[in-house]
Amino acid sequence: MDPKFIRNFSIIAHIDHGKSTLADRMLEACQAVEKREMRAQVLDDMDLERERGITIKAHAVTIWFEKEGVRYQLNLIDTPGHVDFNYEVEKSLQACEGALLLVDASQGVEAQTVANAYLAVEADLEIIPVLNKIDLPHARPDEIAEEIEHSIGIDATDALHVSAKTGAGVQKVLEAIVDRIPPPTGNPEAPLRALIFDAVYDEFRGIIVYLRVVDGRLAKRHRVEMMGTGKMYEAVEIGRFTPQMKPTDELTAGDVGYFISNIKRLGDVRIGDTMVIHKGPKVEMLPGYKPPSHMVFADFYPTNSGDFENLREALETLSLSDSSFSFEPVTSEALGFGFRCGFLGLLHMEIIQQRLEREHDMDMIQTAPTVTYRVETKSGEQREIHSPGQLPSADQYEHLYEPIARATILIPSEFIGPVMQIANDHRGIYVRQEYLSTTRVQLVYDVPLAEIIYDFYDKLKSATRGYGTLNYEISGYKADNLVKLRILVNGSEVDALSSIVHSEQADPRGRAAIKKLRKEIPRHLFEIPLQAAVGGRIIARENIAALRKDVTAKCYGGDITRKRKLLEKQKEGKRRMRQVGSVEIPQSAFLAVLGDREGSK
Amino acid sequence: MTSVAPGTPLYVHLPFCVRKCSYCDFYSVVAEGQDIDGVLDALLHELRLRAPERPRTVFLGGGTPSFFSVDQLARFFDELERCTGFRTASEEVTVECNPESLDADKARALFELGANRLSIGVQSLRPEILELFDRPHRVEDSWVAWEAARAAGFQRLSLDVIYAVPGQDLAQWERDVATLLAHGPRHVSAYNLAFEEGTRFTRWLAEGRLEALPEELELAFFESTRRLLAEAGLEAYEVSNFALTGHECRHNLNYWANGDYVGIGPSAASKLGRTRFGNARSLSSWRAAVAGASSGLASPDWSETLTPPKSLGETWWLGLRTRRGVSAHAARATAEWSGSDANDPALALARELAAQGWLTQQPAGGWTLTERGLPVADAIARRFLDVEESVRAPVEARE
Repeated sequence: MDPKFIRNFSIIAHIDHGKSTLADRMLEACQAVEKREMRAQVLDDMDLERERGITIKAHAVTIWFEKEGVRYQLNLIDTPGHVDFNYEVEKSLQACEGALLLVDASQGVEAQTVANAYLAVEADLEIIPVLNKIDLPHARPDEIAEEIEHSIGIDATDALHVSAKTGAGVQKVLEAIVDRIPPPTGNPEAPLRALIFDAVYDEFRGIIVYLRVVDGRLAKRHRVEMMGTGKMYEAVEIGRFTPQMKPTDELTAGDVGYFISNIKRLGDVRIGDTMVIHKGPKVEMLPGYKPPSHMVFADFYPTNSGDFENLREALETLSLSDSSFSFEPVTSEALGFGFRCGFLGLLHMEIIQQRLEREHDMDMIQTAPTVTYRVETKSGEQREIHSPGQLPSADQYEHLYEPIARATILIPSEFIGPVMQIANDHRGIYVRQEYLSTTRVQLVYDVPLAEIIYDFYDKLKSATRGYGTLNYEISGYKADNLVKLRILVNGSEVDALSSIVHSEQADPRGRAAIKKLRKEIPRHLFEIPLQAAVGGRIIARENIAALRKDVTAKCYGGDITRKRKLLEKQKEGKRRMRQVGSVEIPQSAFLAVLGDREGSK
Repeated sequence: MTSVAPGTPLYVHLPFCVRKCSYCDFYSVVAEGQDIDGVLDALLHELRLRAPERPRTVFLGGGTPSFFSVDQLARFFDELERCTGFRTASEEVTVECNPESLDADKARALFELGANRLSIGVQSLRPEILELFDRPHRVEDSWVAWEAARAAGFQRLSLDVIYAVPGQDLAQWERDVATLLAHGPRHVSAYNLAFEEGTRFTRWLAEGRLEALPEELELAFFESTRRLLAEAGLEAYEVSNFALTGHECRHNLNYWANGDYVGIGPSAASKLGRTRFGNARSLSSWRAAVAGASSGLASPDWSETLTPPKSLGETWWLGLRTRRGVSAHAARATAEWSGSDANDPALALARELAAQGWLTQQPAGGWTLTERGLPVADAIARRFLDVEESVRAPVEARE
């Protein structure tokens, strides 16, 4: 197909602003999906995505749209909206020439949308502002258009008005895609160059490579080479997403599609790599992507220590379908053998944890997440610290550095006061503020990443009744007066409960952690002292009273099975506990050092 | 299914009650409008199918067995005699009775039909508590029933009571215990009130209409009850059961020894060898199952296999509820666990817990809970039930 009839685009939107619904309507308008096959949010196919209403992985779909008698191929490359998955967004945007900037006409621009829109501007994409939910009575299209201009700096005077729910205005969006987004510029006659922008693992078919053909053509049975890895494959099957995978004989410059070749491991495919014809003419490699950096670390330990190898297998299998987390074996005095895992962010961590539990039936203890610190030892050596346990004793190091996030916070202006208070409480340093419209403000703070992980986001959400949004990127490392907060259970330090905190916050955080632990750890046959300490100084102490009365009154023949099951049900709760010394500590307790948030899910 | 050895204890569940008490989670049906004779026919049919010959003990529980009329009880006991020969074979035949339905005639009839032990559901000596329980009898009815039972010739009588009720005063309860003892019972079952799943009490608790007593106060009730009854010679021979020596309920002792038994009637459970199984907790399902089983044995509603490791943990759990306690050797035999003291995980655990003061070994060799261990018997039971997993884990690792 002539590239001039192709448009590649993505949709940038905040959660709940209606991206998936708009995509559904566009697919319907082009009859890409039969009405009866239509299920809500056709693009989100992972259970977790559907459930949580978010997109985690990039998806792609090809639709055909006719305008003035000409048939256009529109390739929608869906992108995740959450800050944790910026890396995925970047990958998707590089395969596009344009993007719809979808904003809820009543809620306005959110911080993550701004961040992703910036990525699109940097990638030199044509951006089409689209205001959704225009049918709602409290829609404020003019004001929101102004917000877009102020926050992103693009012209929003001719922003499109749609209602993805009713379908109103969708036709206009499709027309704008054709009219305003430039066609791909590749040369179909040149040697093949295809950008690999994603890859997913399929249990039955192996790795499915998502690619965008930049130049030339890729035909079935072609032998191709990955320039980055030097690996060679045969195109066993190529095709498009309609959204179901539909095989085709050829993909040409501008096309977006998939490639299957019995690739077994996701690790064999490098996202951002360039695919060329094997032994073909020399071509220049396409610009790739920088690998994701892991900002958050947490340890996973099998609940049953005998399951260590099973956990390793589960992590290996999971890494086939998500190459953006890392894992390495780790040993804890309290928890035995487990894995320290690195994640793109908190949501990413939760998703990996839930996928391990659901898809691999793993029972795990997860420690509270921690950021990567840097320590400079007395001998001048610099080292990364991924868990409080790795921190040398205070007299062994000169400086301890923590990562600082440049946080962009978008809030209705009435919440400025409380949000500034929260930022101050979390050691934030004011950078600037800017009114996007008369009612919305953008605040920029430098906040230690550890504070964001602790409970900054939860606090922001509750202080702004859910309206505040946050986006951040790491801006550097800074030395501060940080100390290790040690937690002692029944007199022994539990390494997996320790954390690194600012010295001024050690007292309140220590007290909060102990209080939470007191609630989370069940009573035992003996009294359990809980202590928080910095160095040798005890800063908080509470006791869990001994169990005094726990005995079934009635137990006869007809009851024995039922009563045993009741006893075992209480035992079931213990499946997610780990014996530390003589104390059984439940999973939820290990997240107790994480401030005022729900400990267990 | 396992064939039933002659002598196996027999339980029969008679499911009807005048009304449902607010705390009770035993399977029972409000009798009004029910086909009582039809249910009795089904019970008799199941007896013919499944009752063991010459059961050592017989226990009629409920529901309210005394709810049946004298004629109905006669039909029942006569058929039971034809099926099992219990009148000469059984050393103990207990019938649970409620004060409102135990009068002189019925007591005499029960005695003549072959019962030799009655358990009377007094539950409380406080009118306001009986009202909270939604019991259909008054305090004085209990003593009328008690006298009727004595007059009928019953030597073995038990009184059933419940304590640690929301709002209950400990000193008042202690006076109630004295009143109970003044009537000279040789057996008392005294239960700490339990909030069982699915009862009105549990709902009221969740709704905040009731408040459970604090743990320390429950413990005081528990200890005070044990002390007062022991002072009168009624030693606790189980967590909630107290008797003069020789007056223990032998039928129940068999449960706590993890012995075999056959249960007849809706919701009744049976244990035969390595299988425990039960009838449906529904009159219609149970009747359909019994009617469908024309010969041989009725098909159970549920069943489970008691592997030796599972059975070993259970045997310790149940046995530790009693004063008799558990002998490691006997527990292994009951559980069909082939092993010796040297590799008995339950015995190892018993020694560990003994070192911590929760268990003690009697001079005769049996293990019992200490005074400190008894109030936390469930927490200790869970440790013994864990034995099953500790045994299984290494086996799986080898596979």
